[in-house]
Amino acid sequence: MLLLSVCSSASYGASLQIELALPKPEHGPYHRPYVAVWIEDPAEKPVRLIEIWREKPDWIKDLRRFWRKTGRADQPLVDARTGATKGPGVYHLKWLGDDNDGKVVAAGEYLLVIEAAREHGGRNIVKQKFNWGGSTIDLTLPAGSEIGAVTLKSEK
Amino acid sequence: MKLLNSVVLGTALFSSVVLAHTMTVLPSHFVQSKTGGFITVDLSATNMTFQADKGIGVDAFQVYLPDGSISKPAAVFQGKRKSLADVALTTDGTYRLENGGTARFFTSYELNGERKRLMGDKQKAAAELPKGAEKVVTTQGRNRAFAFVTVNKPTEAVLTPTGHGLEFSMDRHPADVVAGEAVTMTLLVDGKPAAGVELDLSRDGELYRNEPGRIHHTTDQSGRFSFTAPEAGRYLLEAAYEANSPSTKADKVRESFTWAFEVALP
Repeated sequence: MLLLSVCSSASYGASLQIELALPKPEHGPYHRPYVAVWIEDPAEKPVRLIEIWREKPDWIKDLRRFWRKTGRADQPLVDARTGATKGPGVYHLKWLGDDNDGKVVAAGEYLLVIEAAREHGGRNIVKQKFNWGGSTIDLTLPAGSEIGAVTLKSEK
Repeated sequence: MKLLNSVVLGTALFSSVVLAHTMTVLPSHFVQSKTGGFITVDLSATNMTFQADKGIGVDAFQVYLPDGSISKPAAVFQGKRKSLADVALTTDGTYRLENGGTARFFTSYELNGERKRLMGDKQKAAAELPKGAEKVVTTQGRNRAFAFVTVNKPTEAVLTPTGHGLEFSMDRHPADVVAGEAVTMTLLVDGKPAAGVELDLSRDGELYRNEPGRIHHTTDQSGRFSFTAPEAGRYLLEAAYEANSPSTKADKVRESFTWAFEVALP
């Protein structure tokens, strides 16, 4: 059933492929960053939490925007999308054009948000607009201190 | 006459907002993502915002729990420059940390051209005022310092105005004040939007810059005040209101509060 609803989003071009690099900092003690990746609508309301990588609850608040918009209010959703923290490397995520309830979203403008915070490190946020269900998406975003290069590609 | 009065009062009030020591309640954290922890709260009288100057009494410090009930801090310490209170955050929701709130009476007067003050209401003043005292005015004053702390999901119980004295309502929760986003608040006196409330908005770090960058505002009939914090950080809103309110105990009422809050990163 779930699979069927996923397939029906194929009319918009199936999925958004997100490639995300986590850099290796050169200085200081290293703790893996807490990272959240999600989609917002043009009014900046959260639509779909893709993934959150975290450990103890104590520090989730340091993902300030994620915490305010989703984390503090919807514990079951956060638990369902939680993964272990990850070290430096390149990671692949995917959005299938659905919302948090699994419904297919309307075509239009959306915002991909990636927020990362690291103990003894900094906090980065990437916000990238894209048009879903229309033209092909092929974007490369510059690397920051906590979030490395990000590429977005739509895939049929 | 009433209008003239309020203009003169406004001026006097403005200087008192700026010149007097400001009582603040400043929590170590405004937002927490775990219950069962503690925060430590600074209680201080300051001249520069959040630059501790004098430790203040801790007896009147109270913790309003998310369900609206009142609790005491786990531990307190009164220091020379700041006082401290440890507060246990045992449940989810929004807490109000508040110091002060008791009404006090004071009578100001002039004697041989010199301004003086006596602690006490009209009856006490009538008994104790020296001969020749002029321009005698008794004020019923109440001052509060508070801050809100939210654990997990924000709640409303400790925000809801009681309809007594100087309070405010806002178009968003205190945990949702974000740099670059406009906030509108309404200053209330006895539950109604109030004109003539003197406001002074300042932010942390005044010791380390030349321009304090304070914003002054006097509310009009709508009671409203809108601001957009330019950057994330800790801010203080000071509010004061004074009005003629003749009774057997006083001639005027003066209500004031300070609210320490966090402006979050967008």
